[in-house]
Amino acid sequence: MEPQTKRWKGSVCDSDSWVAYPVLSDEQSQDVELIKAFAAPIVNKKETSRLLRELSTLYPLNGLQHIKRVRAVREKGSPHPLEVLVCLVSDAPDTKVINIDSLLPSDGVRRDGLGEPFVVKVPARPPLTRPQFELASKHWPTSFHEDKQVTVALRGELFSPPQKARMHMYMTSALTAAQAGKELGMEAVGAVVVDPATERIVAVGHDCRGDHPLHHAAMVCIDLVAQSQGGGRYSFDRYPACGFTSPTSDPFQSAPGSEASPQPYICTGYDLYVTREPCVMCAMALVHSRIGRVFYGTASADGAVGTRYKIHSQKDLNHHFEVYKGVLGKQCEDLNGLGHHIKRERVQQSR
Amino acid sequence: MGTEEGRKADSAKSFYPSEEEIERWMSNAFDMAKDALENGEVPVGCLMVYDDQVVGKGRNEVNETKNATRHAEMVALDQLRDWCRRGNLDASSVCERTALYVTVEPCIMCAAALRLLNIPVVVYGCRNERFGGCGSVLDVSSADLPQTGTTFKCVSGHRAEEAVEMLKTFYKQENPNAPKPKTRKE
Repeated sequence: MEPQTKRWKGSVCDSDSWVAYPVLSDEQSQDVELIKAFAAPIVNKKETSRLLRELSTLYPLNGLQHIKRVRAVREKGSPHPLEVLVCLVSDAPDTKVINIDSLLPSDGVRRDGLGEPFVVKVPARPPLTRPQFELASKHWPTSFHEDKQVTVALRGELFSPPQKARMHMYMTSALTAAQAGKELGMEAVGAVVVDPATERIVAVGHDCRGDHPLHHAAMVCIDLVAQSQGGGRYSFDRYPACGFTSPTSDPFQSAPGSEASPQPYICTGYDLYVTREPCVMCAMALVHSRIGRVFYGTASADGAVGTRYKIHSQKDLNHHFEVYKGVLGKQCEDLNGLGHHIKRERVQQSR
Repeated sequence: MGTEEGRKADSAKSFYPSEEEIERWMSNAFDMAKDALENGEVPVGCLMVYDDQVVGKGRNEVNETKNATRHAEMVALDQLRDWCRRGNLDASSVCERTALYVTVEPCIMCAAALRLLNIPVVVYGCRNERFGGCGSVLDVSSADLPQTGTTFKCVSGHRAEEAVEMLKTFYKQENPNAPKPKTRKE
């Protein structure tokens, strides 16, 4: 039998033990909505292009540009090779008997080559993700402008092993901070802000709501980032696990004539790693701070970037960001319990 | 009132601000918003009133702190906490009997913060179409969020047009720190 400790160690150190999945918008994650339409077999293939031209003038299928008008009939032995969408059921003339004559007024479309109509279901909206596309295509051929990054992310394969190793390291820092906060009687939540361009940790913080009810870990980090830029409102000096690093002044970068790197502006372009899903206040604070991406370990009951709201993709807001969940998910989840999975190993923190 | 329920109902009623109170405190909030506008900050003024006295007032101080969460409400909440510390009062029980007066609907973040502190009533001027958390973008004030404090009542519309005008004046000026926003039709 495998010794218990070996498996335990593996689960802590191995970045293969978790997968980061994207938290997509409602539009990207919802089921495929279908609407009813009349289709008809094309019994004479030679008439196809004329039928298409005439049908699209008579029944243009507005807002359904993703729907292909004609489909091939896959079943072998079918008497006709093609089927065409005539119109939506809602656009059809209001008659008691539906047949090809009632659908096509005599002056609009010559019905030579068309068989009798039947009802099909077609996707009401263009598919935004590959799973939506695959479901939609089962009903009727649909075009799809694939966002390759979303497809790869949904497979859990967006991040390369070296990237995952770094993410693992950042979340481990957040876990360490959470543990430090917990020992001071705070909620066990930790967070780390990273500048992905330089791979530098800008701020590390933990929940401090024992002091101030609004000092959730993400809020602490936002103020620490402000401090790293010469601003900030609070002092977290009494918490050794909370801190920041100022942008290093590289003499080559600031040399006259060379292109100066842009001054950091709040959290623009930064990534936040946080052990559990941010609440509404923190999620909106991250919108105001223009965070680049948020990675969290585990969901929370009132969470606002996946569970209760998706504030990161909320329409009407002036800033959106990407969210990934599941980074060190097991270890982050365990923080809320006994937390014995977190070894007190000091993770190297660049301060 | 002998019962706990009765006491609660009684205290909740006493917070519901009268017309005179709204008039008086909102006028104060508007003065602060004007001050913010003159200092190049988003023109939102707010104050927190407990037991007929102002225990916190704030205006947006995002640019000076480089912290985008320093909205007027957050500033006022910190002042309330300082006031309690000086008077040796328990901040959480003071919050439960404090009304917030603010010229613009609190944003989603501030609405959640007000819930977390159990502020019972918020009086505001105009809607906040960009960020509003009391119904304009999301309705955080009344949503069922058991882990996010308590819901609060809103009284809206007092001098709304004036509050909108101040915001328009501000957004016509450029914020040199912010990235270029997408152009909007007026």
